[in-house]
Amino acid sequence: MTPRSVQGRAGQAWTIAKIELRRVFFARRSFWVYGLALLPSVIFLGHGIDAKTDIERLGRRGLTAPALMDSIREGESLDDVKKRVGQPAAERWSVRSRRVRQRTGNAGTTTHPIEPPVGARFVRLNITRPSFNGEPVARIYEFEVYGPDGRANLALHRPATGSIPCGQDQGPEKAVNGSVTGGQADRWCAADWPLFLQVDLGAVRPVQRFVVKHASAGGENEDSDTREFNIQVSENGKTFTTVGSSTGGGYVDERTEVRQIAYFDGRRRADLVFIDGRVQHRNVRRLLDFEEDRAIFAGIFQYFYLRLAIFFGCLGIFMYLFRGEMSNRTLHFWFLAPARRDVLLAGKYAAGLIASAVIFGGGALLTFAAMIWPHDAVEVQAYWNAGGMGHAFWYAAAAALGCVGYGSVFLAIGLYLRNPIIPAAVLLTWESVNGIFPHVLQKMSILYYLQSLCPVPAPMDSDTPTLIRLLAAPAAPASRPGAMLGLLLLTAFVLWVAGLAVRRMQISYGAET
Amino acid sequence: MTQPAVVFEEISKFYGEVLGVNRVTLNIPPGITSLVGPNGSGKTTLMNLMTGLIFPDHGRILMRGISPRDPEALMRMTGYATQYDTAPRWATGFTFITTGLLLFGYGRSEAEERAWKALERLSLTDAANRKVAAYSKGMRQRVRLAQAIAHDPELLVLDEPLNGLDPLVRAETIDMFRAWAAEGKHVIISSHVLQEVDLISDQVVLIANGMIVAEGKIRKVRDEIEEHPSQYIVRCRESDASGVAALLFGEDHITEIKLNDDRMGMLVMTRDREQFARALGRIALDGHRIESVVPADENVDALYEYLIGGER
Repeated sequence: MTPRSVQGRAGQAWTIAKIELRRVFFARRSFWVYGLALLPSVIFLGHGIDAKTDIERLGRRGLTAPALMDSIREGESLDDVKKRVGQPAAERWSVRSRRVRQRTGNAGTTTHPIEPPVGARFVRLNITRPSFNGEPVARIYEFEVYGPDGRANLALHRPATGSIPCGQDQGPEKAVNGSVTGGQADRWCAADWPLFLQVDLGAVRPVQRFVVKHASAGGENEDSDTREFNIQVSENGKTFTTVGSSTGGGYVDERTEVRQIAYFDGRRRADLVFIDGRVQHRNVRRLLDFEEDRAIFAGIFQYFYLRLAIFFGCLGIFMYLFRGEMSNRTLHFWFLAPARRDVLLAGKYAAGLIASAVIFGGGALLTFAAMIWPHDAVEVQAYWNAGGMGHAFWYAAAAALGCVGYGSVFLAIGLYLRNPIIPAAVLLTWESVNGIFPHVLQKMSILYYLQSLCPVPAPMDSDTPTLIRLLAAPAAPASRPGAMLGLLLLTAFVLWVAGLAVRRMQISYGAET
Repeated sequence: MTQPAVVFEEISKFYGEVLGVNRVTLNIPPGITSLVGPNGSGKTTLMNLMTGLIFPDHGRILMRGISPRDPEALMRMTGYATQYDTAPRWATGFTFITTGLLLFGYGRSEAEERAWKALERLSLTDAANRKVAAYSKGMRQRVRLAQAIAHDPELLVLDEPLNGLDPLVRAETIDMFRAWAAEGKHVIISSHVLQEVDLISDQVVLIANGMIVAEGKIRKVRDEIEEHPSQYIVRCRESDASGVAALLFGEDHITEIKLNDDRMGMLVMTRDREQFARALGRIALDGHRIESVVPADENVDALYEYLIGGER
């Protein structure tokens, strides 16, 4: 093996790769890379186990005929459903209780009759809890007092006093001016404790009915209505008697019975939600839906695996190859080897590539297997005959080629820049917004080629906003050979740029610290 | 055929704004050569330049005819024991050296055999299978030496190789250097203590502040420094400078005196520092008022004092 021959250099690069491989695979920092690579397979495995135990558990409780299960309609009562369809495979119920506000009623107006009528010159409204929302401000738009004949408002335009008002135009006289429609300037408002409003009727008169118009009568929020108050009368203005009190409408508990029952026909599960004994909501779904799972796989693969897992995994593996050795002060060992710098680059890149391709290609295949595993053998066989093997291959190939592309980029970045955070953020942004750029610029993105290699387009809900749709989907996917060629050319270019840097690289550990 | 040499032609290297080495021209023949200078004088910079870990901003380097920009050829015949006290975390002394040898294209068994031989030469066989990171400072020093010699290079660049070695290993190592030198190899070592390399070096390069101060056979360098006239600025009271100058002129070690215009000071050049000091003492005793004596040419003087540990 002559060292200066092409084979000699290739052999040297391979030796370097072998030395580095062990470190890339077993370095402690690689463990989170494994985590990223294996996460989707864990998710699918969990989903499979979950569905299988569900099927097992529901099946043991008895199966329902599919037609019968489909016949349940919304609005049916619990008893009817049970009588017709039979005992459910699962049932649970709960009482949902919540405190709701009892409405003041009648547009913020409360009426308080007393029997028999009493004689009074002074009438006082004492407010003990001024609002429902906790605000300590009393707001009364009108306070009316009626005698036994019930016609005339005895308080109208009578002298009124009360707690210090919130503002000059919100004095007690506004509560006896006969109007509620003038907005906030048409109310009595006070926050000064004790909160009271007193009207002088001029002489002792028989009174029998009081009407209080609260905040919502004047157009404010119901929560500002008076919550608790009482009414007192007096003949001399000194001794008062309480003639009526009101909690103004408090809170009550509203109780709703919620019952969830499930029927199972062997493949599908029908979930019924009964509110107060009637079917409010029904949802029939397959516990294991192969087609749906494949779409979810396509989504996870494109949105998580290609965009994030492989991206950051390659960052971790390839940035370290040179930059990490620089900060560990071990790079000079490589530079003192009788090898050209580009041979060293090739060897290190090969090590990173083999490791990342095995980890992420393997991770993709493992996830694919975990996705397929719980499904019906017949369905899987049919999928296999219809090109499923090809799908698996292209997913693994896209993952491996992702490592080819992102690996070269991060290797180059590691040679030029010290801190990976900013270039990684810039690159991630570039890769994700690339879809909205002109076609020429799209070709400068790794993701563009990888998306074109995926066998199934990633699912996208029809209500996805246009912007996100643009970001997520390649405008004009390339053909597979074109995508691979494009990716390899892009990688070759990036590696060439990295080669320029590594040839110029000098050991300067001092500046690293 | 001329001897293969290590040649530096007008080499300058800057670290950003900071000067590393300045216009260094060297021609080092085979044998033991010592780069001697205080810490930070540029010894390691010169060695890194020789081995292509850094590249010069100006000038040309040829290592036995090969440019350091061609590591494929250069490192095959060169071994460099750096001062970087780091080893990969995974490495034991044995795997560390074996791994390095694999890159030379040796098969595994030959690499292991050579690694073992190199460890044996530096008495490291007992520690061969322990992690380098757990070695003592002296052992790490030896393992770097072992790595540098494992592929039997013709050109050895060793940065402070005797640092941290115990006397026995040190004597053995020096014997090794001598044996290699006798084979016509280059052994370039660095030290910040002249005495350490005084006796073993065939030639010495004195370096300070990134510049070569003296270069050549060790005897020649010593003489050069001793014969190099020292300069002092002598200041006297009461315009007595001309009187003092007249007395000093009588001494035969004084080569030159320049009187200042203010007649209070003068620049004196002498070939012999000690005699000059004695003469000043006599003059002062005669009643001449000498205010201060300051060395004007600190460079060589101070360097020499420093290197020989203030012996003289």
